[in-house]
Amino acid sequence: MGLMLLYALLPLVWLLLSSTKDSNSLSTSFGLWFGHGFHLFDNVWNVLTYDDGIYLRWFANTLLYAVVGAGGAAFISTAAGYALAKYRFRGRNVLAAVVLGAIAIPGTALAVPTYLLFSKIGVIDTPWAVLLPSLVSPFGVYLMRVYAIGAVPDSMLEAARIDGSGEIRTFFTISLRLLAPGFVTVLLFSLVATWNNYFLPLIVLSDPQWFPLTVGLNQWNALATGAAGSGATTTGFYPLVVTGSVLAIIPLVVAFLFLQRFWQSGLAAGSVKE
Amino acid sequence: MSTTHPPAQSTPARPTSRSRPVPRSGRIGHGSFGYVFFAPFLVVFVIGIAAPLGYAAYLSFFQDRLVGGNVFVGFDNYTRALGDELFRAGLWRVTLFLLVQVPVMLALALLAALAIDSGRLRWPALFRIGIFVPYAVPAVVASLMWGYLYGDRFGLIRQIGDALHVDVPRLLSESWMLASIGNVVTWEFVGYNMLILYAALRTVPQELYEAAEVDGAGELRKAWSIKLPALRPALALATVFSIIGTFQLFNEPNVMQSLAPDVISTSYTPNMYAFNLAFNGQQFNYSAAVAVVLGGVTAVVAYAVQARSMRKEQSL
Amino acid sequence: MTRASIPSRRRLLALVPAAALALTLTACGSDAAPVVSADPSAALDTETTLTFWTWAPNIEKTVALFEKKYPKVKVNVVNAGQSAAEYTKLQTAVKAGSGGPDVAQVEYFALPELALSKRLVNLKEYGAAALEPKFTASAWSQVAVADGVYAVPQDTGPMAMFYNKKILDELKIEPPKTWAEFETAAVKIKESDPKRFITSIDPGDAGGVDSLIWQAGGRPFQQKDASSVSVNLQDPGAKKAADMWTSLINRKLVDTAPGWTNEWWQSMGSGQYAMWIIGAWAPGNIGSTIPETAKDWRAAPIPQWNAGDTVSSENGGSAVAVPTSSKNKAAAAAFAIWLNSDPEAVRSLSANGLFPATTELLKDPAFLDQPVAGLGGQKANQVFADSSAGVGKGWQYLPYQLYANSVFKDTVGPNISTDINTGLTAWQKRITDYGNQQGFKVTAP
Repeated sequence: MGLMLLYALLPLVWLLLSSTKDSNSLSTSFGLWFGHGFHLFDNVWNVLTYDDGIYLRWFANTLLYAVVGAGGAAFISTAAGYALAKYRFRGRNVLAAVVLGAIAIPGTALAVPTYLLFSKIGVIDTPWAVLLPSLVSPFGVYLMRVYAIGAVPDSMLEAARIDGSGEIRTFFTISLRLLAPGFVTVLLFSLVATWNNYFLPLIVLSDPQWFPLTVGLNQWNALATGAAGSGATTTGFYPLVVTGSVLAIIPLVVAFLFLQRFWQSGLAAGSVKE
Repeated sequence: MSTTHPPAQSTPARPTSRSRPVPRSGRIGHGSFGYVFFAPFLVVFVIGIAAPLGYAAYLSFFQDRLVGGNVFVGFDNYTRALGDELFRAGLWRVTLFLLVQVPVMLALALLAALAIDSGRLRWPALFRIGIFVPYAVPAVVASLMWGYLYGDRFGLIRQIGDALHVDVPRLLSESWMLASIGNVVTWEFVGYNMLILYAALRTVPQELYEAAEVDGAGELRKAWSIKLPALRPALALATVFSIIGTFQLFNEPNVMQSLAPDVISTSYTPNMYAFNLAFNGQQFNYSAAVAVVLGGVTAVVAYAVQARSMRKEQSL
Repeated sequence: MTRASIPSRRRLLALVPAAALALTLTACGSDAAPVVSADPSAALDTETTLTFWTWAPNIEKTVALFEKKYPKVKVNVVNAGQSAAEYTKLQTAVKAGSGGPDVAQVEYFALPELALSKRLVNLKEYGAAALEPKFTASAWSQVAVADGVYAVPQDTGPMAMFYNKKILDELKIEPPKTWAEFETAAVKIKESDPKRFITSIDPGDAGGVDSLIWQAGGRPFQQKDASSVSVNLQDPGAKKAADMWTSLINRKLVDTAPGWTNEWWQSMGSGQYAMWIIGAWAPGNIGSTIPETAKDWRAAPIPQWNAGDTVSSENGGSAVAVPTSSKNKAAAAAFAIWLNSDPEAVRSLSANGLFPATTELLKDPAFLDQPVAGLGGQKANQVFADSSAGVGKGWQYLPYQLYANSVFKDTVGPNISTDINTGLTAWQKRITDYGNQQGFKVTAP
């Protein structure tokens, strides 16, 4: 187990240490110790100020995509899962099967047609092109369905109805609270999915002003590795990529640490059979 | 509602594991609200999945040539895809990956979950969080980072090997590349799978263990006859997700391509092939056909695994 | 095409009369319409915002000069991805009719494809034909596609040999003048230290190998007419180059590491590579990526196949084009023309690291005698200018070179350390298959 922990954390230690190095000692000094001089603050400063602070812009974009995308996905999935679990309506079983089937559709296989379709309706190169697809989370619906079956007792819904509470009001005032751990779980996993989203934004965005961090960092890496071809300068991009990566990871790690109470119980629900 | 779960939150997981889901009482008259709650998902589902999927299917029946323009070609793109050696080679590659990387990753995850659940570890939270942390690292960043670590001349692994006088193979060479990518994927997802399994373990009723202890069962025996059966649904779920993920493999090889362009071809994985067909070759129609076939293969394999695990479930 | 006297920008603009009113936007840049249909100078006098897709470093500085001169036009510089990434977005944006830029940087190799698929405006409509005498013959031949002018050349990359003077001095090697001398030098360098290589060939870079074939006299890609091409990656020039490099690689005299990675630069900086055969744009990269040892590097003419020759080729280089989806074609064309042919602009581009495409600057003593910072102050522009004058004629790219280049690493890449000819043959097959699928008539010898 100790080895596994080492395996999980050692690369991150390397990454952290590397963010304190300048371009030269990045590859000449030993990976698991400091290089010549301590350049963390220089590197951070360079990351934040390069190209008029485009990194901060990417950061803000990522935050936007993650908060709106993941928040929206979690909410939409919760409502849909709740509907499948707690209401009998025509076509429910078909819809449930469709949701399950949709989990198996490789999201990236959809990227190319999504791109073509979006360019036809003119949302390409706008935040919507990233946000709209990230609102769909079939897995979230599946998880919330399983969760809602257990978390919201029918007797309680009946009691609410007898008290004259409308369905929608009941959902917002009572059910949602009972569904909170599941909601947070879906939120966190959508958060990771949107925060890590690379393929779709890579395709649908052209203007770096709308890039999320992943695409931006890889563009820097492309500059560093000269995938740009002739004429691109490569001034010290490696420290930018490394330090930018460190800064990109921190928020997610923090979010997971602080919300672990919630997602662990939510996960338990999804992990048992349907 | 009783709570056996450590965090003091209501835990509905247990009831679901026992009671039959979908009770069928008294909802007549309110049923239509199901549509109301389901509607938002339906809207985004249509925009995000159904429409692109339909569009892909539509596109796959045409061919837009640089010379000659757009023509309806029926199933030509599909017959071509089925006979396409590059596509097949890519499929074979991810299948190999699936057969090796997924079992290794799940075994490690299972081991870690059992170890943490056994209660024999000091600081279980440290292990749980520590092993999970890589999941929070974006695949792009993880691949960039491991790419540096793999470096032939100055990479960390080479440095450590040199210090220990161990001959490190060229991790970015043709014979090692798939294993190197497998390692990145394992690193990213072992903690995630561990957590799914661990969470499932927590739902095993305490009484079962107590009963087993009365019978004189040791830790290993408990793991074998109580924990593993309890884990089966979670394991099936993790397997299905890993299968889907593997068939979609794109980010890691795409990022590492600049480090080994002679090894990672444009058709290295089926998904990379679909991407490059569309974006470097302007073969959008053929790319759509490849994407549809790939989606079909993924769905079939995922369903097969799921169905098999469910049948096992019922036979128990 | 008539060779007029060199027109100044002012006269050029005067060539474009008020006939502009007659016809502004011809639908999709119809070819061979030498009618001047829009008035660039008027366009620059109207409030306009242009979006310019480019990844050229520091281009903002030159754009700022433009905005100062034409305050009514605002230019929005966007890095929409480099090379293939940009063209893909460009192609689809034009196809969709929206979301594309008004002006875009396009490398020479991609121009025929974008021009022939009607993605770019024929700039002849905006008087660009008159610019021909301003540019080097090789640069101009790359933008003059199928009787049109589809872009204005921005920079070029005449091939040169960069070498680490410290290593050569230490081993008492003179910079090789022929490939035979190059081979001898390679052996000496290897003997001095088994970890050293004379240079490295990038298994993922089609352009690098193209340039070597070009210089050896190969002309593998030829466009015959709108729908037929010929491909011969085993013509005498291609074979000659492939044979020599294969032999060097097999004897471990030349490395085959992927270029531009951190490791590769480290090999450059630490003296594991003694040379780099590449375009004239390289000094900026050397200076900024390996600043500690950049002072050891010098430029010399590319080695010759026949002693005494001065045959060269191009590597990389870009032009600036106007996509057909632009809503401000006249202003966009005027901007593209100004940016790359106005003397002030051209000087600024050069000062910011782009190797010039204009003959005027290439003959300017101030330019030629300027010490190049990345190369220990060597007056290397003289070397590059000579190379530019010696670029072999008749090189063409395929009307689907983007695809061709993208599969270079699939075909030549895996074979580079065994036999490049095998790789070239596999490449040719992929290129031929694709061309046939796309409806071209592909002929091979």
